Amino acid sequence: MGMQGDFYQLLKEQGYTLGSSGQAGTGHVLTNATTILAFKYRDGVLVAGDRRATAGNMVMYDRTDKVLEIDRHSVMAIAGVPATAYEMVRVLEHSFKYYRRTQLQELSFDGKLRAVSKLLKENVPAALAGTGAVVPVFAGYDLEQGSAKIYFYDILGAEFEGVEYAVSGSGSPTIRGILHYLNTWGEQPLNALPEEQAMVQALRLLTSAAEFDSATGGVNREASLYPVIKLISGAGVQTVPDATLKPLYESQVVRYV
Amino acid sequence: MYEEPYRWVEAVGNRRQYLDEQFKQGSPVVALTYDGGILLTTVSKGTPKLYEIYDRLALGGMGHPTDLEKLRFSLLEMAHVEGFNRSPSDVTGSRLIKYGIAPVIKQAFEEVYKAPFIVRILVAELGQKPEKDALLTINYDGTFEEVTGHAVLAATTAIQGKMLTYLKEQQQATLSLEQALNLALRVWAIGSMAQQQDEADQQAEAKPAASGSGSSSAATPSSNALIEHVRGLASERTIECALLERQAPGTSKYRPLKQSDLSRLLPAALQSVVAN
Repeated sequence: MGMQGDFYQLLKEQGYTLGSSGQAGTGHVLTNATTILAFKYRDGVLVAGDRRATAGNMVMYDRTDKVLEIDRHSVMAIAGVPATAYEMVRVLEHSFKYYRRTQLQELSFDGKLRAVSKLLKENVPAALAGTGAVVPVFAGYDLEQGSAKIYFYDILGAEFEGVEYAVSGSGSPTIRGILHYLNTWGEQPLNALPEEQAMVQALRLLTSAAEFDSATGGVNREASLYPVIKLISGAGVQTVPDATLKPLYESQVVRYV
Repeated sequence: MYEEPYRWVEAVGNRRQYLDEQFKQGSPVVALTYDGGILLTTVSKGTPKLYEIYDRLALGGMGHPTDLEKLRFSLLEMAHVEGFNRSPSDVTGSRLIKYGIAPVIKQAFEEVYKAPFIVRILVAELGQKPEKDALLTINYDGTFEEVTGHAVLAATTAIQGKMLTYLKEQQQATLSLEQALNLALRVWAIGSMAQQQDEADQQAEAKPAASGSGSSSAATPSSNALIEHVRGLASERTIECALLERQAPGTSKYRPLKQSDLSRLLPAALQSVVAN
């Protein structure tokens, strides 16, 4: 009968497999062309991602949403092969709902993390073959403990807690250093930033990533394209509208020389 | 011996009688559309009777808790697999009932060697637009019905009829949540009182000395009397309410009403019952 309330198990019993298994060792590892970041601010956790999708040196799409809401209190930001990543998000979304509805209680935050690493482990063959590597950042608000949490993963499914912040994708080396600098020697540590300041920092960080990484989209003001920024607090996930980001970007990110 | 057609019909008849007995003590379920979505109400004893099935689907049930659980799980399983493999908008109440559980319930009912499902089920479906809201009911023999506006479950069809008549008398064009809750509880009370009356009548019939059996009261009780009836029972039971809210954020539209919501929305006479 299997574990009760396990949607992934149910899918597998019906013959579902996540992604293609691929031929191990055939491929080069595709770069994770993107930038996603998450850090804790005063009221919870902020998760942001640029909107560019690339294939080699081609820009495929400039309106990708890489910060995906899984339920009212958790978000997964994805770097890596989008096809696999979106499928994982779909599985997770349905798994958490199915658990809540069958068991009549929320899946615990640890249970959610476990579900993410289980999916990544299932995906190892595809990741190694170079056709389906996904390196996500999972962030959410743990209602039982009343605290925000950030986790990041390697392509094999190992889980690491990002105590203050986590980054992933090709643009991440640039901003990792900035985050460390800001958090250690900035005017105030990241986790003390009020909401608005946190959004400004996120915009600046993604703009910096775009400066040095051609695969990261940054902000395109002509087309009014702003990064996706989501704030997660005890009240749930909230997507910051472009109308809020635009004035912040214009007043505090752009420098007119 | 059931191979003979006559015996089989007889066995199914007996089964009907047996099943009807099982619902006598059950709590009726009322579903109503209001201006913000659909409201489901019951006053349950011990086990909850209202559940979330999918993004826009809710379930109310009467009968044996274990049978209800079994069917609830198959509904959940079908809904989620379909929602994952196709899309959430392809998960509809009528498909789940007609092609999902109705055949299973009917088969169990007619296989006279096996145990039937002791359940009556109501599935509420919140449409993308108010006119697409649907309410489906299914009986222990697999008969299903799809209606709009309001639906009820009760011990017998006669009692369900009484509840629906009362609903039609009292129904207004649009109801606020508060009005809908008030009406739903009164309808519930009509059902609950009729069930009590039926049982009293049956006991009276059992005693040969009892006076005329046509004692079922003709006059509809007043609103206050109905609310008073709920109040009398609410101390040992739980007023259970769930909503499918059209304006709810996110994809899941189901929301059970918490005590704090209830103490605000319930008719004044009932607020004290919930508070403690």
